[in-house]
Amino acid sequence: MFKGLPKVFWAGMGLLYGWFFLFFLLEITVPGFPLKKFLGIPGCYLYNWILALWVLNMIVAVIFYE
Amino acid sequence: MGANPVVILGALIYFAIMIAIGWYSRKAALNASDYYVAGRKVGPFVNGAALASTYLSPASFLGLPAFIFLLGYPFWWALVGIIGGMPIATLLTAAPLRKYAPTSFTDYYADRYDSKWLRLVAGIPTLIAGIAYVTLSIVGTALFMLAILKLNFNVSVVIAALVVFVYVYWGGMVATTWSAAFQGVTMAVAAVVGAIYTIAHFGGINGMTEAVLSISPNFFNTPYANEKASHALMGMWTGVVGFYYTWHFGFAAMPYTVVRFFTAQDIKSARRSVFWAVFFGGAMYMGLTIIGTAARTLIETLHPFMQVEGVKNAVDVLKHMKQVYGVGGAAVTDYSMIAAMEGLKSPFLLAVICAGGLAIAMSTAAGWTMVLNVLLGRDLIGKVFGSNWPEEKPVQVTRIMTTLVIVICTLIAFNPPALVLDISGAAFIVILASVGPPLILGIWWHRANTTAAVANILVMTFLSTYSWMYANTKLGSAHWFFLSKKGGIVTPHQFYWVFVGFVFFILISLITKPNKDEIVKKYSYDLRPEN
Repeated sequence: MFKGLPKVFWAGMGLLYGWFFLFFLLEITVPGFPLKKFLGIPGCYLYNWILALWVLNMIVAVIFYE
Repeated sequence: MGANPVVILGALIYFAIMIAIGWYSRKAALNASDYYVAGRKVGPFVNGAALASTYLSPASFLGLPAFIFLLGYPFWWALVGIIGGMPIATLLTAAPLRKYAPTSFTDYYADRYDSKWLRLVAGIPTLIAGIAYVTLSIVGTALFMLAILKLNFNVSVVIAALVVFVYVYWGGMVATTWSAAFQGVTMAVAAVVGAIYTIAHFGGINGMTEAVLSISPNFFNTPYANEKASHALMGMWTGVVGFYYTWHFGFAAMPYTVVRFFTAQDIKSARRSVFWAVFFGGAMYMGLTIIGTAARTLIETLHPFMQVEGVKNAVDVLKHMKQVYGVGGAAVTDYSMIAAMEGLKSPFLLAVICAGGLAIAMSTAAGWTMVLNVLLGRDLIGKVFGSNWPEEKPVQVTRIMTTLVIVICTLIAFNPPALVLDISGAAFIVILASVGPPLILGIWWHRANTTAAVANILVMTFLSTYSWMYANTKLGSAHWFFLSKKGGIVTPHQFYWVFVGFVFFILISLITKPNKDEIVKKYSYDLRPEN
């Protein structure tokens, strides 16, 4: 099953799912985690809004696509 | 609140550009291949922007901010799940399906599972999802018509249906690919402009966060870490994970995006299209996150209806709106995003938002209507029941089917059965649980067979539809586990059926007869990247 899917596919999946579950785990175990300041703004805007939502997905899309 | 001439002008400019693109590209549609798959001559940037605008719908543009407005910060992860599913599709289905290059969504099922009747079987959940999606697109278009013209909701639904009808009637995939690309750029720009206005209004992200917390102190609360959750549906980890996975695999397996992989020039272009879809879709989602987060605060501090006697909060504003404009069913909460933008009192901003909203609603309606046209005309009347009519007169068949689909969906749109995002979630779960496993495993697993495909599609279509409707009607929300009680186990949209579907499909495949070797070679092994 899934024979022939390049290894980079599993690496990309691992990065996206790993990121989600790591930060979600921190959110449900550390009170107030989303609002902890990082680089001057609440952390959730960095790890969720900018990185998880847009930047990481674009990086994975480029890596996926002689 | 009356109609604003600047907002009307913005909508007219949008329609003028759409007509110009439609007129120019219509000349390119010469034969059935051009009509159905744009002659397979669309580059990655255009195809990617078109992919984003077709895939993302009013369920995104109105529904996601409405759900952030209702459920709070934890729902942000649902948006991450949707965009995160896009790159996965690059290698999982986009490249293999472009290599195979069919015309219709059901072609793969008929070929891989070696039976024309698979078109009929796969057509059942596709028809359910398609009707749901065209309906929510008409509701979305109607809400933007209401925002532009300040007309009664029922009148807005009729105008919206006419707009969608004329647009789809105009041309096939050629017209809708080029105009959908323009719509993809428009919707992304609209959401980003809305977010910039919002952040600027509060003087920055920190100012916005403080303002949100002053109105909704629990907004950023997360399950378990805080004594009180941001919402009852966000009180369990399954709420967040369930919403993350509800739409996650959609980009790889939903009929209306899968057909856009067919229109790419070649496999390389199909793969690169996904990057541009992530670029435009992700940009739009970043904007929608901000608008949804600030919606309650903007409405309660700025909306003109807050001055009305008896109106005390954002929910009251929406109730008042429902009363004034006669908005049917659950649709008024979907207006929260527009109401938030109305609060900023900028006609230019509202014009941009309405153009973006019309763009996303019309492109999704067109994409799904084309899928249903091909399914009902070419696939069922032509391939299953043997008529030559769809091949000889594709435009005539398409237009008759378009009329049929839009009339049915308009009748439902007058009184929407749920919020647009809930309608979308139901469509996704039905499709992903039923036709998702035979599509994905059909490519990537040699043992996938006809018996399992038929059994999975029929069983999962019934179970997912029944459990969703049971929870929605008997428990008051489609997000409670249908065998528990209201306030019991949170399972957004009964999302577990997607995973159950894959397990069920594998088990049935293992205990029944495999397909012929030559079929498996041609439609499974040969489609994989190394071959």
